[in-house]
Amino acid sequence: MARLEILNPVARTVEHSVKPASRLSTLEGATIGLYWNMKAGGDCALDRTEALLREKFAGTKFRRYTGSVGWLMRHCTAEDADRIAAEVDAVVGTTAD
Amino acid sequence: MVELERRGIPTVLFTAQTFVHDAHRSAASFGLAGLPLAVVPLPFTNQTPADIHGMAERAFDQVRAGLTRPVEAPKAVERPPLDERLRYDGDDLLDAWGRMQADFLVRGWADGFPLVPPTERAVGALLRSTRRGPGDVIATLEPGFGIATVEKLAINAVMAGCGPEHLPLLIAAVRCLAEPKMYIRNKAMSTGPHAPLVLVNGPKGRAASLNSGMCALGPGAPSASNTVLGRAVRLTMMNVGHTYVGVSDMDTIGSPLKYSLCCAENEAESPWEPYHVTRGFAPDASTITVHFVYGICELHDFRSTTPEHLVQVFATAANNVAQVGTGLWLIGRRADPRSKTEEKEHNTLFICPEHAQIFAKAGWGRREIQAALYRAARLPFRTMILNKEPKAMEVAHPELAWLADHPDLPVPIVEDPTCFDIAVVGAAAGRGAYFYGAGEPVTMPVED
Repeated sequence: MARLEILNPVARTVEHSVKPASRLSTLEGATIGLYWNMKAGGDCALDRTEALLREKFAGTKFRRYTGSVGWLMRHCTAEDADRIAAEVDAVVGTTAD
Repeated sequence: MVELERRGIPTVLFTAQTFVHDAHRSAASFGLAGLPLAVVPLPFTNQTPADIHGMAERAFDQVRAGLTRPVEAPKAVERPPLDERLRYDGDDLLDAWGRMQADFLVRGWADGFPLVPPTERAVGALLRSTRRGPGDVIATLEPGFGIATVEKLAINAVMAGCGPEHLPLLIAAVRCLAEPKMYIRNKAMSTGPHAPLVLVNGPKGRAASLNSGMCALGPGAPSASNTVLGRAVRLTMMNVGHTYVGVSDMDTIGSPLKYSLCCAENEAESPWEPYHVTRGFAPDASTITVHFVYGICELHDFRSTTPEHLVQVFATAANNVAQVGTGLWLIGRRADPRSKTEEKEHNTLFICPEHAQIFAKAGWGRREIQAALYRAARLPFRTMILNKEPKAMEVAHPELAWLADHPDLPVPIVEDPTCFDIAVVGAAAGRGAYFYGAGEPVTMPVED
């Protein structure tokens, strides 16, 4: 019988914590931000989502956003996030693939 | 999206099924593991509008729920074991090592090749090669925000097969990875095959027997030092940066370049100043440069005897629109919104000594090659824009909208001539290498 004792290669991580926002009680009358990071097809999904939200929830308003920096993917800066947060009640995003 | 949640705005994110684990992991690393998702079966890319509309319709209930239902308490995030020592029993040490190897593969901590066991003694030998203490923190490495202590780097270096001479080089490489301008989060987590090309300059590379000549990029015994150092960078990205395939590394096909891609510049046979001098370092300094690259194309030419002819041949490698970085400047710059860094898309050329001599004998240096390549490496606008999002170009370069009316106008494949990085590598015969780059290289000094 033999024992091999080794050192763990996996690093500990710096932990972050963000409290999720309170959700809306209703989408009726809400201003919804539609955020597209410019990956192909994401705008098309947001088009359809906007149409469905308009159809099902009266008085919804929409604002379109993309990030102010980037290339294949356009990213949201802190200033972008501040501006969006000041202008809408909720955001639907297509940022992942 | 996490930044909007932080500001009190409820969000929901469309995510393809394949990327759900990645999205959860990414959101968790930013502090919000329960970020609501609207999961669709496929990525929206390469889908028809009708198919995308269908997916959006079927996910609509998730969109509604994501914005109106309370977010569930975040699930427990997978943590590295707290036990800093791991023990494997077997009939003999080889059997125990086999169990270690199998366990590491199950946990995702291995690159697929056999690992050297990081025993305390082996790691200790590496730690004695640096003045830094084992607990010194070199960086916090994304995407997982792993704390890169010298000891963790030494452990991964041992696993890769490194000796004590490699640890200072690996530390410098990790400093490159962690530099904000590197924006490693993007390169580590992408669906693209981003491989860290590690170029070593200076006496410390020579002392570590880094190969700069024949078959410098391997395989083989002459490049053993290159192989293990490049491998250590990959293992560090995995076990320190938490870049794990299928969890945070979502590479569509992958690349053999990602296992190990490392060599030294052949300073002895270069007619020019060493590459690191062009990066602002003293000639006798030792440096590591890391440039993430997507792929490699041979620069073969046995016939040309003039710089002009060589550049024409080299430009054909550059004029490859299927490579993502080609003409990418038209739709903006790679940018990390947190550090507000921006990168131009660079490409690295390894020019072999024979080709370098052709340039040098004609009085050409790097600048002349860069300028000539910039003029020669151009594609018609209609070709360049084939695989790029037109709306992204409208946002990035509204002043260039006129190009749409001149589709046959040749457009440069990079933003400016400095986007070609040139090093002399290799042995005899006229064969170099063109690396399709991802963003800009970063160079750091090697310190004891």
